[in-house]
Amino acid sequence: MPRIALRNSVGNPGEGVLGQRPNSIGHPAMTTIATTTAPPRARRLVGAGRRQWIGLLYVAPAVALVIVFFVIPLGMTAWMSLHNWPLMGEHFYIGFDNYVAILRDTRFWNALKFTGYYTVIVTIAIFAVAFPLAIFIEKPRPLTNLYRTFFFMPAVVGFASASLLWSWLLNVDSGLFSPAAYELGLIDKKFNLLATFQPAFWSIIAMVVWKVAGFTMIILMTGLQSIPQDLQEAAVIDGAGPLARFRAITLPLMRRTLALALILSVAGSILAFDQFYIILRGGPRNQTLTAVYWIFNQSFVSFKLGYGAALSMVLLVILVALSLVQLWLLRKPEGVD
Amino acid sequence: MRNLIAKLALTAAVLGSGLGAAAADTANIWVRADGSNFMPRIVDAYNKAHKDQIKLDIIPNAEIIPKYGAAAAGGTAPDALSLDLIYTPSFAASGQLEDITDWAKSLPYFASLSPAHVKTGTYKDHIYGLPFSADASVLIWNKKLFKQAGLDPEKGPTNWAEIAADAEKVNALGGNIKGFYFSGNCGGCNIFTFTPLIWASGGDILSADGSKATLDSPQLRGAIDLYRSMVKKDLVPAGAQTDTGANFFAAFAAGNIGISPSGAFAIGALNTQYPNIDYGVTFLPGKDGGWSSFAGGDNFVVTKGTKKLAVVKEFLDFAYSLEGQTILAKYGSLPVRGDIAKDALKDLDPRYQIAAEAMAKGKTPYSVVFNDLINSANGPWTQMINEVFFGDDVDGAIANAQETMQSIIDQAPQK
Repeated sequence: MPRIALRNSVGNPGEGVLGQRPNSIGHPAMTTIATTTAPPRARRLVGAGRRQWIGLLYVAPAVALVIVFFVIPLGMTAWMSLHNWPLMGEHFYIGFDNYVAILRDTRFWNALKFTGYYTVIVTIAIFAVAFPLAIFIEKPRPLTNLYRTFFFMPAVVGFASASLLWSWLLNVDSGLFSPAAYELGLIDKKFNLLATFQPAFWSIIAMVVWKVAGFTMIILMTGLQSIPQDLQEAAVIDGAGPLARFRAITLPLMRRTLALALILSVAGSILAFDQFYIILRGGPRNQTLTAVYWIFNQSFVSFKLGYGAALSMVLLVILVALSLVQLWLLRKPEGVD
Repeated sequence: MRNLIAKLALTAAVLGSGLGAAAADTANIWVRADGSNFMPRIVDAYNKAHKDQIKLDIIPNAEIIPKYGAAAAGGTAPDALSLDLIYTPSFAASGQLEDITDWAKSLPYFASLSPAHVKTGTYKDHIYGLPFSADASVLIWNKKLFKQAGLDPEKGPTNWAEIAADAEKVNALGGNIKGFYFSGNCGGCNIFTFTPLIWASGGDILSADGSKATLDSPQLRGAIDLYRSMVKKDLVPAGAQTDTGANFFAAFAAGNIGISPSGAFAIGALNTQYPNIDYGVTFLPGKDGGWSSFAGGDNFVVTKGTKKLAVVKEFLDFAYSLEGQTILAKYGSLPVRGDIAKDALKDLDPRYQIAAEAMAKGKTPYSVVFNDLINSANGPWTQMINEVFFGDDVDGAIANAQETMQSIIDQAPQK
């Protein structure tokens, strides 16, 4: 029964290691101050009631930032979404008319459909590239740091700058790919990659994978490194092959890392805008309009700020729901810890 | 960056001169970046000669509308604005602009102001905008390439068949030389240069009051066929299909394009930045001759409730003087006063005369939802032109655009 023994030995120590990880990644300032530093000091000074008050004081700057830059704007967006709010001129209250209009707005739902399609494809593509890279660079070997730097480098470029760079690379007359293929004699006639949907879409996917895979790779690598070596060794001794070890040790122990990488990737993709705006302008023929692009168009091209706000609220709800579903799917397995 | 420096220098100049005349009023005016060449010059000239002063801000083209909207909402809008004329109806409709009907009609030369500007500046029989700068679409051709191709370099095409034939001959020179160029994914470029082909042949894409889309016409179909045939014969560079306007001017300026529809602005830009290109300017022709042009440019509009109306009027008076019109013409805008246009242009490149004539008889479509219909990169017009020039289903694309445009017009706020 090597496999059962293996599972049992995995559970606890693994969770112990993993248990600390979200703290060190998620909110370093808030958790450390609130749970580690604050209580002992407060305990020395006063009773339990004031201890909490001091704790609150410590998180006050963070709370203030969240209120000023998130809660208030969010409230204003919700408020605006209940108005007919043109960019210029008077605005007036219209109740839920904007939301009713969204139900009939087929171009928004088409944009959302495309955004969903793009999210699924690009997330699969990112993980398909990032996971092997993470496994490749995890173990120390000659030149590992060089490889890590190479793979990670595109992640530090802003999305807008990266889009401008690729916009040039993909240009049919003065770019790189098409002219290079033509000069090398691979094609008889320059091929405009951005003129039709399939090549344009896959060019964007390639660009996003190039840009984001390095970052996902680093996240996955930290997950891989947090798996204790002795578990793998024990499994090897028990006779588990590489595939079985990957499935029974690596994947379950990386649950939280995977959740983080997945949520970041999905949320980022659903909010995609820059690359489609800069490289494709939503083209060819409006086939690559994303949800955010449509919100931008409604707000700043058609000047309907109220309607744009309502669309943003809908998108927010969708995004929160999707994130909850992902967290639920990747929750801790039953019976552990 | 150059704009920023110009702006800083200008602000410094304004501040400096402001100190000397303490009692003087200063009005704030905005202009889009397209006007960054002529606007500082005319403001400078005005400030030197007047006690009251103008403070100029230059705003990037794409940002001026949202920025003005935000400023107006916050009560910090400029006193006046040089506004792309096609936006005047929607600005007037939103109640943002001062009614200047009485003043406009009191101007002795009111009747000779550019009719296209005055028409778009008028909303429900009140005048909210007056012409400031002007640009008209024309056809330009490369004389050197015409000569190499055995064509008469002094004679531009005068109808559609000649455009196609000349482009084909130039294209036959081979190498990286192409016969014709247009920005195939740019709504603004094509309303400016493609619709005149339709107008000159007797068709139109919108009814006169902007309440009906009229895309289903033989003239539109014919003009589409002209472009399609040139694309099919490979007379147009492959990049045209995805050009959102970035190469609208640059493609011709590189010197290997035979013919390109363009605008009067190209005359100033080619003369100053590309003096080696030998080019001719002619009208955008109709199918069997005749011609038309899109009369574009900026209207001068006044923010509702401004306290600096007197300064603003004095500045506009100055801009309409012969001195003002000459400064504008010299730095890239056509004169907007028909009665003195010849005088203002007399010492300048004679090719301006063609553009000025095109301007005088040019047309401008009228719509309160122009941006949604035409200029938006994702609007029905932009989508249609790309589909009909390069796609397979011309009829479907026209029908689809007709339907979408009409529904946008019908849903526009009726006030």
